[in-house]
Amino acid sequence: MRFRAKIVDLACLNHFSRIINTIAKLAKTCILRLTVCKLYFILSDKVANGGASMWCELSQGNFFDEFQMEGVAAEHNEIYLELVPENLSRALKTSQSAKAVKIKLTNKHCPCLRVAVELPSLSSSSRIVTHDIPVGVIPRRMWNDFREPSVPDFDVSIYLPVLKTMKSVVERMKNLSNFIVIEANLSGEMNLKIETDLVSVTTHFKDLGNPPWATEDGCQSSAQGRDLESMAEACIDIKKLQQLLAGQQVNPTKALCNIVRKRIVHFILLHEEVSLQYFIPAIA
Amino acid sequence: AAMKCVIGGAQLRVFGRAIHAIARISDEFWFDPIERGLALRSVNSSRSAYACVFFSSMFFQHYCWTAVPHPCQQEQQFSLPCKLIIKSVLPVFRCANVLERNVEKCSISTNPSDHHVTFQLLCRHGVVKTYNLTFQECDPLQAVFAKHMCPNILRVHSRLLADVMIHFPTSQEEITLSVTPVKVCFKSYTEEDTDFSRTMLTEIQLSPEEFDYFQVGVDSEVTFCLKELRGLLAFSEATSVPVSIHFDRCGKPIAFSIEDLLLEASFILATLCEAEKEAASPEPACCPQPRDSKADTAASKKPQQKGNTPSTDSAKAPSALAKQEVKNTPRGTERDVPGRAGAATAKAAAGEATEAPYEKNSYLYKYCIFQFHSLFFGAVSYKEKEAIGDTFQSLVTASDTEEEFGALQSSPV
Repeated sequence: MRFRAKIVDLACLNHFSRIINTIAKLAKTCILRLTVCKLYFILSDKVANGGASMWCELSQGNFFDEFQMEGVAAEHNEIYLELVPENLSRALKTSQSAKAVKIKLTNKHCPCLRVAVELPSLSSSSRIVTHDIPVGVIPRRMWNDFREPSVPDFDVSIYLPVLKTMKSVVERMKNLSNFIVIEANLSGEMNLKIETDLVSVTTHFKDLGNPPWATEDGCQSSAQGRDLESMAEACIDIKKLQQLLAGQQVNPTKALCNIVRKRIVHFILLHEEVSLQYFIPAIA
Repeated sequence: AAMKCVIGGAQLRVFGRAIHAIARISDEFWFDPIERGLALRSVNSSRSAYACVFFSSMFFQHYCWTAVPHPCQQEQQFSLPCKLIIKSVLPVFRCANVLERNVEKCSISTNPSDHHVTFQLLCRHGVVKTYNLTFQECDPLQAVFAKHMCPNILRVHSRLLADVMIHFPTSQEEITLSVTPVKVCFKSYTEEDTDFSRTMLTEIQLSPEEFDYFQVGVDSEVTFCLKELRGLLAFSEATSVPVSIHFDRCGKPIAFSIEDLLLEASFILATLCEAEKEAASPEPACCPQPRDSKADTAASKKPQQKGNTPSTDSAKAPSALAKQEVKNTPRGTERDVPGRAGAATAKAAAGEATEAPYEKNSYLYKYCIFQFHSLFFGAVSYKEKEAIGDTFQSLVTASDTEEEFGALQSSPV
């Protein structure tokens, strides 16, 4: 099992750091899955995470100048590592002016991702900062726990409002309540609601637009037949929503959510080179 | 002695940063005006970190010092330092960075007869803030460290050190500096029982060319407390004077110092001894140094009080004093003790180290205790103050401050 990669381009490095920062805000520990073409950051829906799960996917070619990977076996050419994304975030934090960043899987005292940042210095030789991030190797028999979640059979799919606005609304609501209700309909309307003994607050968004989802037989989903005004709602943990919104450092190209009435809310945030899916289960 | 000085404009920020740097060492500090200038000193409760900042009279817009004969003193030219609680002084220099904007000047004056130190901030728009602090007289505090005898000396701008330290998390307690003639490396400290599967380790390699001055006489790896150092780094950035690092093998203290015409500052930190190295050599690898070499170590670059002679003459005397004190004072590396008793503690440790070699605990890494040179004069004439010294009730109260303090108790660091 070997892995070695290098980033030389500063813009790619900054973009990669931002993605890691977002992941670090969503998960204390997560799985990093390496394949020949892609990297995945996976959080599975264990009880410990409060039932939330995450799937983040990026193409290595968009970030790395060099990328060499040898998986556990020829037929299973992948590597699954468990790590603390905050450590990776910290290692990359001070690399903003780096000449190059190399990442390597090593096993000195224990399996580690070694991040070596080459920084410019006043002398002829560069300054090298090395961070050894401990990782856990996930054995192949457990890989099935980390499969890509399927898109649920949702009742409503809707584009999200401007994330910055949504974030400030949710942050204020967080002070008043632990749970928030998200409801939306197929006419591009979304409401965020909290209700406590003392107060209830609702923020209304409209003209958001509903993304078209093609079904397997090629035609539009049977949304036509459904009542366009009826709201599908789910009550979720407000902290999870706030973490998702707070972690976004750049505006995504597309941001939408799928609501399964009273079951789950599925968020999809798409950037040019990375896609992030986040599932928050509804509170019974 | 009585002292009055005025700190103006840009120097306020430097002075404030010095107070903040010293605050990282301990809750209290020695305030010691002498004819040449003002010295601030501090030592932590485990005696593993010592800081001294000396502002020469030229640093101040105005500096005036007069010797005041003290009824108890036999030798009149010596002034007595006083001890202040840092928490009382910090509010004066809170937000050292914005001080210059609001404060035009700060005047400090001491009044030995009624045991007061007064800090007065003259601010804009005619606002005057006055802080009257009561001090407690105490024994002098001075660390003895022969910087010039260190085989390894590095000098570098504080900016580079700050750039290095930024890669370590703020929670990082100890780091290891490793040098050979061709390379320098700062890394997270690890020991035998470090859980590597949970700890992220960071290492920074630098080339000797990055240093203004680079002398490595002996390959060494020294481990010291980073938290205590960060204060000095912030302070030296305010002064933009390069930082000199003097050190030796592990176990011997490491000194970080800055020096220019207006001020000198030294932060001396103990370094970890490795238990294996201790067991190997008959002599403890760490200080305290054997008593015979005290004459050498007395010739240190620390700012001396006026009238050097007692300090060198009494180089031998404290050892005589210490021999007695070894019996009285129990060894307590963690106890918060005032100056003289602290010296005794250090000597007691020395006594124990040579009498009963090392606790054979492979997980025990002892911090080295370095000697405190208690001036003979101080030790003799303060016998009557012993009661106060030993119980160390802090009498410092701050009046007219923004926060309510009341009577403060000293707290161990």
